Amino acid sequence: MKNLKLASQETEQRTIVNVSGIEIGRDFVVIAGPCSVESEAQILDTARAVKAAGADMLRGGAFKPRTSPYAFQGLGIEGLKILEKAKRETGLPIVTEVVDPRDVSWVAEFADVLQIGTRNMQNFSLLKEVGRAGRPVLLKRGMYSTLEEWLNCAEYVLSEGNPDVILCERGIRTFETYTRNTLDLSAIPAIKELSHLPIIIDPTHSTGRISLIGSMSLAAVAAGADGMMVEVHPKPEEALCDADQALTPAIFSNIMTRLRPLKSFLNDLPPQ
Amino acid sequence: MKPEDIHKKINKIDRELLVLLQERMGLALRSKKFKQTQSDPVQDNDLLARVERLNLDLIQSSFTRQLLKTIVEETKRLEDENRSLAAFQGEHGAYGEVAARQLVPKGAYIPCMEFIDVFRGVEAGHFDLGVVPVENSLEGAVTQVNDLLTTTDLKVIGEVKVIVNHCLLATEATDYREIRQVFSHPQALAQCRNFLMRNKLEARPYYDTAGAAKMLARENPRAAAAIASSLCAELYDLEIIKEGIEDGPSNSTRFLLLAREPHPDKGDKTSIIFAVPHEAGRLFAVLKLFADAEINLTRIASMPLRSDPGNYSFFLDFEGSDKDATVAEVLKKMEDLAKWVKYLGSYPVDRSAS
Repeated sequence: MKNLKLASQETEQRTIVNVSGIEIGRDFVVIAGPCSVESEAQILDTARAVKAAGADMLRGGAFKPRTSPYAFQGLGIEGLKILEKAKRETGLPIVTEVVDPRDVSWVAEFADVLQIGTRNMQNFSLLKEVGRAGRPVLLKRGMYSTLEEWLNCAEYVLSEGNPDVILCERGIRTFETYTRNTLDLSAIPAIKELSHLPIIIDPTHSTGRISLIGSMSLAAVAAGADGMMVEVHPKPEEALCDADQALTPAIFSNIMTRLRPLKSFLNDLPPQ
Repeated sequence: MKPEDIHKKINKIDRELLVLLQERMGLALRSKKFKQTQSDPVQDNDLLARVERLNLDLIQSSFTRQLLKTIVEETKRLEDENRSLAAFQGEHGAYGEVAARQLVPKGAYIPCMEFIDVFRGVEAGHFDLGVVPVENSLEGAVTQVNDLLTTTDLKVIGEVKVIVNHCLLATEATDYREIRQVFSHPQALAQCRNFLMRNKLEARPYYDTAGAAKMLARENPRAAAAIASSLCAELYDLEIIKEGIEDGPSNSTRFLLLAREPHPDKGDKTSIIFAVPHEAGRLFAVLKLFADAEINLTRIASMPLRSDPGNYSFFLDFEGSDKDATVAEVLKKMEDLAKWVKYLGSYPVDRSAS
């Protein structure tokens, strides 16, 4: 890991990314919302529900990198306006994905955190652009990537002068087919050894199964993650993408009530 | 031409027809102020004959007659509504019109080229009311307007603070990623400088914010956008790409409502202008009157007197009405201390914005 001048652990103390007063790297931060922005009502309903359940930030995709060019590509700038409206109403900061370097400055006008998706982890021109956008970057791990490759991508953003990178483990491809991907929980303590950057987990895309999300969320807390990002949809059966892995607000709320006590219990444990 | 292009073009023409009708109605209401009898185009055979000479093969004379009749009837109905004609400076959609719509809810809003046209028009009775900006929370006094307040005889009968909410506007056909130039009034461009820099946009000064929006809608220049009010998006059928693009904390502009006669009711805020002789302590003595009477001043501004270089006029706004005994007494004492005092009016204070 000799090329990690900025991302490696030795260089400085742990990074805390401040998003409108929410400190990622200090608190356990929960980012929730639908896969994609579909309508104003859908986003406002979700925003109110996840806020009531205790989420800290709202996610939602306006630009969608889809496996098929014929699948729903997102509402684009209209979607960003809807997210901004939800932020005005609920106060939840916005996390949204950017896929095209030409869009970066515009998405940064609406979003509080720019997300780089798993398929774009090594899109170096995009990484350089978000490095200059003046917004925190949530960098998802490529589904075939090693930790070193991942941290090198963080290095791209950091080297452009943007110190606020949040890493997000979202599952990697293995031979297992029951789960959509395999959630690499060991990445959490490993990243803490290798880097000063905060790391959160995505229990939705890693498992692809609603029934597994609760357990994996608790596991992430126990493993020392700095937060999680989870998909919640007011009516999952009507969702335009990822319909079978989005939580209903009720299930999300239940997970949240189990997660907070675990976190405070862990805080009381004697240090290792 | 593809069918959807034809459809779009028809929609655009329908819109333009309505905008032209709106302009015609405005002119008809204005002409009524001159108390001249208008010629009725339906009765006017000359006009109809001229229209027929246009040789519009798809427009039959019976249709023309019917259409003009409908328009004339609607104009008469509008005239009977007796709407107040409220003049503002700028094109339709200017912040002056935003203020006018708040101050005069059911009015007819008349654009003027210059501030002086608003003042002279109200004075001459061509308009019932005028709406002019006096100060901006970031940029300070609007000197031209303050000067006109000194030299004309209109009364202030209301005020409103309009939050300046700059929007980036473009035509529907414009891809935001292709925008390179942004047209607007230099002051609006200056207030959005960081936004323009972040998105690598070139600022192109234009005479007016609303004028820039209008130009965009009419000419649809390539890769261009405008900075103007959200009202402009409605009036000129433009897309709002981003709202609230100003850099600093949002600023507001205070507008005054002007009329020939003072406000009929008591009012709770008063504006005056005065000048004092060049003697030590004279200004202080005037201000002391207000302090002693415990009257709260809400604005103090000074401006060079154009008619008398080296001397200044002072603009004073304070809480209370000239019909209050304490205020009346202070104003009376002021007469002795000041060179002259000009009473602009007492009016209801705008409590909506701070």
